Amino acid sequence: MVAWLATHPPALVVFMLMSAAIMPALAHFWPVLCAPVACIALVLVLAGSLHLAAVTLRGEVLSYAVDGWPPPWGIEVVVDPLAALMLVVISGVCLCILVYSISSLGKEIPPGSIGWYYTAFLLLVTAMMGVAITNDLFNIYVFVEVGTIAACALVIAKNSKEATEAAFRYLLLATVGSGFLLFGICLLYLVTGHLNIAFVAQELAGVHQQYPNLIWMALSFFLVGLSIKSALFPLHVWLPDAHSAAPSTSSAVLSGLVIKIYAVVLIKLFYQIFGQRLLDETYMRHILLLMATAAIIAGSLFAFVQLDLKRRLAYSSVVGMGYIFLGIGLGSPLGLAAGIVHIFNHAIMKACLFLCAGAIYRQTRERYVNHLQGLGFEMPITMGAFTIAALSMVGMPLSSGFISKWYLSLGSIEAGQPLFVGLIILSGILNASYFLPLIWQAFFVVDRQQPRTFTLDALPFPMLAGQVALALAVLYFGVWPGFPLALAQKAAYIFLP
Amino acid sequence: MPAMERILHNYPYLVAMILFALGIYTILSQENLMKKIIGTNIMSTAIFLLFISAGNIEGGVPPIVPYDGVLPAGTTFFVNPLPASLILTGIVVSFSLSAFALSIVIKLHRYYGTIEADEILKLRSGP
Repeated sequence: MVAWLATHPPALVVFMLMSAAIMPALAHFWPVLCAPVACIALVLVLAGSLHLAAVTLRGEVLSYAVDGWPPPWGIEVVVDPLAALMLVVISGVCLCILVYSISSLGKEIPPGSIGWYYTAFLLLVTAMMGVAITNDLFNIYVFVEVGTIAACALVIAKNSKEATEAAFRYLLLATVGSGFLLFGICLLYLVTGHLNIAFVAQELAGVHQQYPNLIWMALSFFLVGLSIKSALFPLHVWLPDAHSAAPSTSSAVLSGLVIKIYAVVLIKLFYQIFGQRLLDETYMRHILLLMATAAIIAGSLFAFVQLDLKRRLAYSSVVGMGYIFLGIGLGSPLGLAAGIVHIFNHAIMKACLFLCAGAIYRQTRERYVNHLQGLGFEMPITMGAFTIAALSMVGMPLSSGFISKWYLSLGSIEAGQPLFVGLIILSGILNASYFLPLIWQAFFVVDRQQPRTFTLDALPFPMLAGQVALALAVLYFGVWPGFPLALAQKAAYIFLP
Repeated sequence: MPAMERILHNYPYLVAMILFALGIYTILSQENLMKKIIGTNIMSTAIFLLFISAGNIEGGVPPIVPYDGVLPAGTTFFVNPLPASLILTGIVVSFSLSAFALSIVIKLHRYYGTIEADEILKLRSGP
């Protein structure tokens, strides 16, 4: 069974798709079973992903030709270290979110749509895993579109005015983004006649000097399309509304994983197809670095002025994407590895923060950031998990956020641009300025009139389990970062030999 | 004049670019949500046109072998069938996106009684 999976990696995606397909039937006959069945499916997929990651850690790159058609003709599926890392983080984080959703979902969305919510959720997982492992340009487009529709469905599931409006704006801009992506794919197909990434790269290396304008156009189309979808700074306008109006489990998966999968697509397209030399010649790396810098500074300032907790977290995702694109734009192996590690780490901490925000809202009905006084005494477990994840966002040592910032700094020194170390330190201070007041209020501001008594959270067990698992993962990967680092470095050395 | 000739020879690409720009302009400039959705459709149609014209070869025939296995006389080229099949998928994707967007517009109309983006914004920020 295990050996079979290594030779048939798409089985994971197909299995996820099938579990998504049975959800509506389950919801119709046994609605209680939806969440447990989805969790069991994700546990199996997580086990499979960990096995694939172990195989790629040994240095193997798995390749599978769908339906027996070899690469230039058929669709090829490749599990390289980057894909394996994404598979693990997608299935792991989604598992925690689903466990949390067992008891949180009933209060956030209409009871009739819970079955369909799980359908959309599992479809989104399918699409993200498909994007991670496919090696075919058009297949990437199709999975991106499946993911777009599923993600909008997760936003609109809340059935409120704000969520509906935010979902419409998200859908519209995401359509524009995928239009740009498909246009770029079409331009590449025009010059190379291939859709397989490896073959496009091979063909392009021979002909790129004849079509300088077309290379420029394709790169710009990819950059704009994927920046819209991954909410890179000037094109992030849809993100705060969509992520703050959605149910908390949707916000966690959208902010934690969905926007990052497009950064993975960008890494694949830019470094596998065009290669570093073309990126340098067309100044694409410099544009990426500029946008990333703007995202880090402006995103932090925007987050600082938000008074709604979920909006503040949403803007902090813009900052997170800035770090990831900074790593991609540095163009040194260590920088790229740091970007990939930050994809992994940011997914875990941002999911944890959004789940905690959802728990806080559920218990106190409070979304305003200055009304969290003494919450650490009422909900110590939730606020503890929140504190760990928030300190990790700031970059405290012994948390996973520190690892990614440390390697980003090393990467910028390796790339000969030590100025970015200053940027990382500055943004750490900015991050602290909007996260530390929350923690301070929750634990140290005590109302003299009503002395607080220390009680445990009045939350159902699955919600606590989801948050605590993610918070522990933040600590674990801060102390033992070997697993994501090894895979990310292997991936970076494949892309930047 | 070589430039003119090149434009005339490659006019589908030019039309595709113009349509693409028109689509984006419609999305960005129109306040009516229906018109925005029409804009996305114009945009995706432009990409389909680009893809299809990339696969076309002048004087080519459809890549179908006749029943008796004998190709018509003078057949030298087949048209590339791959873009057509890809675009079939693209059309399905674009169709489902439009259907989803239209259903959201219906919901918005129920909530606000209007489908003009600026009026919705006014109603939201109003008293």
